[in-house]
Amino acid sequence: MRWYNSLSIRLLLLFWVLLFAVASSGYLLALWFSKPVVPQPVPSEVQSSLAPILSEVETFRSLTPGRLVAGDYRVAASLAPSGTERLQFDRNISANFRELMMRQLDADQPQQFPMGSRMLMGPFALQDYRILVTRPLTVDEQQEQATNEQQTQRVQTLSLLVGSFAIAILLGVWLIQPLRRLTLATREIAKGSEQPNLQRLPKRNDELGELARALKTTAYDLAVSRDAQRRLLSDVSHELRSPLARMQVALMLSADEDDSQARDNHMNQLGRDLERLSTIIERILSLSRLENGLVKLQAEPVDVRQLVEQLVSDLNYTDAKQGARLQVHDSDAWPNTESDPELLRLIIENFVRNALQYTDDAIEISCQQDQTRYTIIIRDHGPGVPPEQLSQLFTPFYRADPSRNHKAGVGLGMALSMRTAAVLGGTVEARNHPDGGLEITVTLPLQVVSKA
Amino acid sequence: MSKILLVDDDAELSSMLEQILTKEGFQLTLAADGEIGLERALSGSFDLILLDVMLPGIDGFQLLQRLRQQSRNTPVLMLTARGDDEDRVAGLELGADDYLPKPFYPKELVARVKALLRRTPNTSVRPEKSEYAGFTVDPAQNEARCDNHVLDLTPTEFDILRTLVRGNGEVVSKDQLSVAALGRSLAPFDRSLDVHISNIRKKLPNEPERIQTVRGRGYRILKLA
Repeated sequence: MRWYNSLSIRLLLLFWVLLFAVASSGYLLALWFSKPVVPQPVPSEVQSSLAPILSEVETFRSLTPGRLVAGDYRVAASLAPSGTERLQFDRNISANFRELMMRQLDADQPQQFPMGSRMLMGPFALQDYRILVTRPLTVDEQQEQATNEQQTQRVQTLSLLVGSFAIAILLGVWLIQPLRRLTLATREIAKGSEQPNLQRLPKRNDELGELARALKTTAYDLAVSRDAQRRLLSDVSHELRSPLARMQVALMLSADEDDSQARDNHMNQLGRDLERLSTIIERILSLSRLENGLVKLQAEPVDVRQLVEQLVSDLNYTDAKQGARLQVHDSDAWPNTESDPELLRLIIENFVRNALQYTDDAIEISCQQDQTRYTIIIRDHGPGVPPEQLSQLFTPFYRADPSRNHKAGVGLGMALSMRTAAVLGGTVEARNHPDGGLEITVTLPLQVVSKA
Repeated sequence: MSKILLVDDDAELSSMLEQILTKEGFQLTLAADGEIGLERALSGSFDLILLDVMLPGIDGFQLLQRLRQQSRNTPVLMLTARGDDEDRVAGLELGADDYLPKPFYPKELVARVKALLRRTPNTSVRPEKSEYAGFTVDPAQNEARCDNHVLDLTPTEFDILRTLVRGNGEVVSKDQLSVAALGRSLAPFDRSLDVHISNIRKKLPNEPERIQTVRGRGYRILKLA
């Protein structure tokens, strides 16, 4: 996201520009509508009444600013042709008006116009001397000015109202509308929608667009994990109910059976299913412990070669015929590493047992090593797995053999091994060997054994 | 002797169920996957099919759908080990007659099987034709019509409609319907009857609401104005 796409920058600029626009439009409109101050010629009766006083040179020169000329007329400014204080102003008049008065001193004709709360008149000149006089505004003039100001204020207020309303609409469309859309979309997600209706929000370049995109992916991820969980629950219930169904039937049959041989068969069936049930339950629990990070690692130095040999000899002990199919490749690649031997054995054992279960020929176990990782490869010489099913191998309860052969495992071993490998910081992959057979590669981080 | 086809990939369960049902005097044929099951269901004449949902090849739902598409109205009792209600009702929507969740008591299975077989047309007690409000149900011909439009109904749907028509516009309670069509009372939360009714409505040529739901009591047939 570029800086000019950032919502905070945009908001700042927007508020700034809009506020500036409203304020200046108010000001401009006020100027437009208010009556401009137009200088009027000084009424002749004022001129004539002032004339006697202003015709005497001595008197004229003595008229310093601040002095009363006659009646309410007071000198506001004076300009002498020379001297240290050529230009003087009445100190009671705000300095803001000085420029205005200086300009008026240069005017050709005596004029009058309101200046603040007073009426300015002038210039009156005699020889090279010039003065300006002021008088308080009359009641009428004050009223006129007040009306003028009131009108200006009204125009300003009105334009502020209209301007701010325009801002509100703009913000509404630009900011509130997307927020409302996001709220609606969030509600949709809460109800389980996979693709909430975000309209064109995700295409926006700012923070709102980012939020919309995040929401979109979240909704999808949620739906995916919810589906996975639902499927898992459905599978779990299926896997638990099937042995239960058999047990219920076998129990009834054995109760009605007089033949002791047949009854023994049913009892064996019951025993097998009971064992199966406890295996499934135990594995589901391990799986959930692994997924929730409840498994604690017991890292210690492990001779991986030795661990695999031990596993092979254990399997050999239980079933010599099966065990004879296992070949451990001899190489220097077998590492000594820091790992959890229990978990490591669990991973390899599951894959080896699977290979024994689903194939009839030799099973090779070999190892490769590079700087940071080592890879244990378990390869069988069976029919392999159709490529489109390779990725499903690690899905809980997936079985490569579609006919539900109950001598086969419960369908959790591969999933369990993959999760366990992940706990050890490794990965598991399955692929068909070019020369036939399934090849499982377990890649784990190599951790140097500390020589303590 | 009634012939039953059991489609289930669980070999051990199948063989035990075979023992039980044979002892009850039924003749059983087994099929261990969906393809074989469908083939046998289409080729043989069975009085009842016991159908598992999770099957290798094509699953139980697909099998049922194809069976019904070929207008085979053999009664089907679904056996399902999956948990959720949706799954159970899904079978009924595709035209199954009843379902039994696994695990079940073998006696319950036998009772359901007998109930479903009891009401097949040749054992019907009162074969006379009944008519009401445009509906004609003729058990002798095994034919149901609505406004002279022949309805393609499963045996269960046929029996439900017949019971409703015989009600002559009176409300027939759900339990009565269930006993007449499924041979059993309704269990709590049992939606099978509602699903059957909705299936019948979908098959009507017009005005599905002419089979009216009377909330809390049952269903009745409305006379069209």
